[in-house]
Amino acid sequence: MNYLHEVILSVGIDIGTSTTQLIFSRLTIENQASSYMVPRINIVDKEVIYRSEIYFTPLRSATEIDAEAVKRIVREEYRAAGITPEELKTGAVIITGETARKENANEVLSALSDLAGDFVVATAGPDLESVLSGRGAGTDVLSKQRRITVANLDIGGGTTNIALYEKGNLRGTCCLDVGGRLIKVDNGRISYVYPKIQALAKAHGIEVQVGDRAYPEQLYGVCRLMAAQLAQALHLTAADGQHAGMYTNDGRALPPQPAVQAVTYSGGVADCIYQKMENDVFRFGDVGVLLGKAIRADPDLSRVELCQAAETIRATVVGAGTHTTEVSGSTIRYERSKLPIKNIPILKVSPEDEASLETLKASIIQQMPLFTPEGKAEQIAIAFTGEKRTSFAEVQALAAAVIKSAKEVIQGPYPLIVVVENDIGKVLGNALNVLLEHKKDVICIDGIKTLSGDYIDIGEPIAGGQVLPVVIKTLIFNS
Amino acid sequence: MILKTKLFGHVYEFKSVREVMAKANEEKSGDKLAGIAAETAEERVAAKVVLSHLTLNDLRNNPAVPYEEDEVTRIIQDDINETIFNQFKGMTVSEFREWLLSEKTTTAMIRHASRGLTSECVAGVCKLMSNLDLIYAAKKMRVQAHCNTTIGVDGTFSSRLQPNHTTDDPKGIIASVMEGLSVGCGDAVIGINPVDDSVESVARLLKMLDEFKNKWEIPTQCSVLAHITTQVEAAEKFGAPLDMVFQSIAGSQKGNEAFGVTAQMIQDGRDMVLSRGTSTGPNVNYFETGQGSELSSEAHNGWDQVTMEARCYGLARHFQPFLVNTVVGFIGPEYLYDAKQVTRAGLEDHFMGKLTGISMGCDACYTNHMKADQNDIENLATLLVAAGCNYVMGVPQGDDCMLMYQCTGFHEAAALREIFGLRPIKEFDAWMEKMGFSENGKLTPKAGDASVFLRK
Amino acid sequence: MNEKDLRTIIEQVLAEMNAGGSAPAAACCAAPAGEASQVEEGCIPDITEIDIRTQYLVEEPENGEEYAELKFNAPCRLGIGKAGARYKTLPQLEFRAAHSAAQDAVFNDVDEEFVKAQGLFIVQTQCDCKDTYLTRPDLGRKLSAEAVATLKEKCKKNPTVQIYVADGLSSASVAANIPDLLPALLQGLQSFKIDVGTPFFVKYGRVGVMDEISELTGADVTCTLIGERPGLITAESMSAYIAYKATVGMPEARRTVVSNIHRAGTIPAEAGAHIAEIIKIMLEKKASGTDLKL
Repeated sequence: MNYLHEVILSVGIDIGTSTTQLIFSRLTIENQASSYMVPRINIVDKEVIYRSEIYFTPLRSATEIDAEAVKRIVREEYRAAGITPEELKTGAVIITGETARKENANEVLSALSDLAGDFVVATAGPDLESVLSGRGAGTDVLSKQRRITVANLDIGGGTTNIALYEKGNLRGTCCLDVGGRLIKVDNGRISYVYPKIQALAKAHGIEVQVGDRAYPEQLYGVCRLMAAQLAQALHLTAADGQHAGMYTNDGRALPPQPAVQAVTYSGGVADCIYQKMENDVFRFGDVGVLLGKAIRADPDLSRVELCQAAETIRATVVGAGTHTTEVSGSTIRYERSKLPIKNIPILKVSPEDEASLETLKASIIQQMPLFTPEGKAEQIAIAFTGEKRTSFAEVQALAAAVIKSAKEVIQGPYPLIVVVENDIGKVLGNALNVLLEHKKDVICIDGIKTLSGDYIDIGEPIAGGQVLPVVIKTLIFNS
Repeated sequence: MILKTKLFGHVYEFKSVREVMAKANEEKSGDKLAGIAAETAEERVAAKVVLSHLTLNDLRNNPAVPYEEDEVTRIIQDDINETIFNQFKGMTVSEFREWLLSEKTTTAMIRHASRGLTSECVAGVCKLMSNLDLIYAAKKMRVQAHCNTTIGVDGTFSSRLQPNHTTDDPKGIIASVMEGLSVGCGDAVIGINPVDDSVESVARLLKMLDEFKNKWEIPTQCSVLAHITTQVEAAEKFGAPLDMVFQSIAGSQKGNEAFGVTAQMIQDGRDMVLSRGTSTGPNVNYFETGQGSELSSEAHNGWDQVTMEARCYGLARHFQPFLVNTVVGFIGPEYLYDAKQVTRAGLEDHFMGKLTGISMGCDACYTNHMKADQNDIENLATLLVAAGCNYVMGVPQGDDCMLMYQCTGFHEAAALREIFGLRPIKEFDAWMEKMGFSENGKLTPKAGDASVFLRK
Repeated sequence: MNEKDLRTIIEQVLAEMNAGGSAPAAACCAAPAGEASQVEEGCIPDITEIDIRTQYLVEEPENGEEYAELKFNAPCRLGIGKAGARYKTLPQLEFRAAHSAAQDAVFNDVDEEFVKAQGLFIVQTQCDCKDTYLTRPDLGRKLSAEAVATLKEKCKKNPTVQIYVADGLSSASVAANIPDLLPALLQGLQSFKIDVGTPFFVKYGRVGVMDEISELTGADVTCTLIGERPGLITAESMSAYIAYKATVGMPEARRTVVSNIHRAGTIPAEAGAHIAEIIKIMLEKKASGTDLKL
């Protein structure tokens, strides 16, 4: 009676610094529990079924994305794939890298939301982008299968996103201002140079100015400096004086351990690393080819094994469309009419604070002001593991504690959303419902692990209403 | 025939052969549940006395279910070689017992006699045998069969590797297969009892086992123990490799109906594997049986569970199976109450199977609501090897997490081989040596290290 | 034990002997042979807390890490090594411990005081003792005359849902799960505003007795929470059998089953909430078992 085999469609749209791409994938969900047991529904297979062309991201100006042009691209690709927004159950639209800093990024996202299907639309922070590209490149799987520590470097036009996996587990992410289009070349002359790169070059005695003639030898020298920064980011060599400044938005570095044993490359520059590209090095109007060559030749990066990525230029979009969705546990409580809900910040009670109900309450009360600008509660989700509170009495006490400490939510207009890891979603949901005398909508899901600073989207039910698709957007990873 | 005797001066009169056969049984809770067991210990012996005077002809003439009503009876009766039967039909059960035990009676003579025996004859003589008689007589008999390898050769003892998993998880199953093989389990068959018995799932499991078997060049045979029609469909629809076909069977047509199976289905399955299967053959059937299953589906027709069990073997014989095993303690204490009854049933079934002429193994097992423990099952396994049993089961440390019962573990076959100076099937033995798991029939220190199969 | 371990132990023993060197010589002579045994403080760790999925006892495996990871996918006693062609002592004792729990779960009766503390009164089937219960499944499916009278007297008539607990094949399961399972189920039904009859406990009950209880109480849905036959992984597993308008002699296929309820399976409190929802669906669809698509 529990036999279940359902296929859902997922979309990934990535609007990056230089390119815009889209993919559709098919996620197969199955009940893996024996018959007569409570269902255990998991995603058992993921397959990319459609890959779009790779477009240059249309810009209206240096600071503005051309939202209408992006919309046209997306609409055209839907048509080409023969897929309508209604068919999509999940997915992610992300604006990555430099583009996310454009003035109208949010406007673009909302313009796309009606096209993307009724779910997730978000800007990706650099950490999320690192994770998505790492998954899309298959680095997590590779590291798990080979039981080694592998870093994926997703080198795009403006940034390099690094994700570090040890035996399949994410150990760190970082993002550097290293990319193929940070110096652009037009008609043999330098047409653009990113200030940070200019400064990096200058520190090593190389002057690059807009308008200068583009000498391949000279720009290769700059690219070697960028490659060296990547080696430093992987702790393959000691950091120099410029290194700390290379992280995007003053971001953090990777943890020094575990030590990297192998690398994969994705992003637009990856193919220039894996393949030797001769002839005109400026054929793309940038230094991508030179950067690829410099990375391949870097003595420090060469000390670790070079592995092939499953996806190169499409890694991020495949990651977004194929590897972002999880499914909740099958015993949960929700109000169907309130779904889907998007971009909900997580108010996370740390495992230490969960130890007693007093500290749990205090943690929620203390964090609440962060989510109540001008005294009004935003829509939030309260999250904790729920470990060790599994007896009926403990669940009742837990429910009471949540209600007591989340007054702003209870009194506010939005449903009470609780996200737990342990399989107590339904009984906790019932307890909340009964204690609130059914006067408040309650959404209580389990089987989902979150971190402080995460945002989540909860989709409409799948598998005959037994589970909800959930997308977790980890915006900050290293801490 | 006479159905009356006196014991200590007390008269015991039985109404029918059926009643004699039931009451002559050693004590079984299943016969009591059916309301047909001897009421006292003395009555039991009285029934044995009466039985000892019946002839094999009397037993043949009183099948448990009438010929006209039951295809199992028809198959058993029609398979009899009348010439051979005529040589034996005048013997009393007592005389036949002594003939079997006689030093003059050879292995070959018993094999010859088998062709003239109906299941009721087989069951009848079993009831007059003590446990040691059952071992002594069974030891004389050898039945060989060939699928990809030959089972039952003198000097060998085999085991089925049973890598069951609560959710048919392929990784979990393979982990179990690896560990079993690493201690020499699996030369009889690698056979999974699936949780999900859909055609797709059965096909998937069959392919997985076959791939593993081929990759490591393991000389054995594989099976997924779903319904016979499911296995056939898996082969036809999805090209699943079938070395043999499995089916649970009962000793009456009605009992088989409860399993959803007919003789025709078994024949079709057999034909299918012979024409399109992956094994050499000619023995491509695998049956499981067990005392009490007919009563549990109310298909025993008032007969005792030993006789009904013998009839399973009579049915099985028709298809010349590679393996038959009696799952002896799985059914619960309402049929076999405790270790004593399980031990008795295991020895009876093994003896009866061999006397019928089939390649016999035993799943010596118990459930947790039975008064038995692992020591009892180790005892039974040891007795069975002494009796020349072809094979037993092997599950991780004797604990089947999916069927929730305990039986013999992976290590048992290896230990029993060493104790009795036996070896696995020849090709499998050579494979074990090649893998470094055994040397001259003894496990090496490397045995038990399943991680050898994860060599890069 | 490999050579290195052995050496470590010998060194340890020698060190301890030296440490005791300052003791009076008389004590040494008093010991009959070797070191005197003394009762020490401390407690040997609980072997039943070992997770068999992560336990790995093979010595010097070729690819141990990989196999440990692979075997984690099987809830079986794998990676247990060997002593000759037999088992090592620890897994042998773990097995025995698991079997002892299983046997105790089957052969012991549920503590009546515990049952009463759960707010349940007790009735009995036609089985007079555990032995009868185990060997006469037919009697475990019928209420005693006294039980029939008690239920007629004490139970609310024609409730929407009748819930009762039965020992089945595991008394341990009742003790382990009912304090969480039953209130969670009742709360779930309450949150759906579904009317519930008077719950009670059936001693020596088989699943089938629910049919007679259903007819007797006139409930729309009858739900029994019953101890499962113990395995070695757990002796505490419980099942819920639920049927819409159960009648004596109805096909088994009309029962909906939720099994594997225990602290390491479906958590009992969560299972209670889940069963409440199944009952709600059952009432809406007026069907159960294979007739009910969940």
